[in-house]
Amino acid sequence: MNNRLRELRDAKGWSQGELGERLGVSRQTVNAIETGRYDPSLPLAFRIAKLFRKTIEAIFDPGE
Amino acid sequence: MKRALQIPYSRRRYRAATLALMAVYVALMLLVWPFARGAHGTPAKVALALLPVLPVIGVIWLMVWRVLHADELEQRLHMVALSVASGVVAAASLVGGFLGAAGVLVRGDLLIWVFPALCLVYGLARWIAARRYGTDGCE
Repeated sequence: MNNRLRELRDAKGWSQGELGERLGVSRQTVNAIETGRYDPSLPLAFRIAKLFRKTIEAIFDPGE
Repeated sequence: MKRALQIPYSRRRYRAATLALMAVYVALMLLVWPFARGAHGTPAKVALALLPVLPVIGVIWLMVWRVLHADELEQRLHMVALSVASGVVAAASLVGGFLGAAGVLVRGDLLIWVFPALCLVYGLARWIAARRYGTDGCE
């Protein structure tokens, strides 16, 4: 699954660790999501969407 | 929505507590356990023989605490590693059991190796799984 998490995080000027703290997950988890190696659970996807004030679809793209 | 916060201080405390418990375990194995066979009476033998189990139970409790306080990716890594470790150790135990039943293996202390083997395979499997997700696996 593709996502815009890195782009949105960079726009806020946050490090992966800072974003992880805001989301209640580790820096490693943020990194795994950004690199597309891990797809977050629905609750975490909602937390991400709420944090960036966007819809889940605006951040995550299931792709082909 | 419930959040599992990562608390570095608690992680350090987890490592310190694990090391302390393992030090107690090693001390008991070296200083107390050798006297189990020579102890007088079954209650004393049982008590001395099982004393090293207490710190191991503490380590298991800490492992459970760690998994419960991990975030969702870490919990997935723990689950994958535990699944692999359970499967490998179960298969090895089955092999040992069959060999024991056939009289090929007659060592009575074989079961002592189940927990260390579980920890070893779990650590290896977790490291491999963590690399797959792009983390260092040593957290």
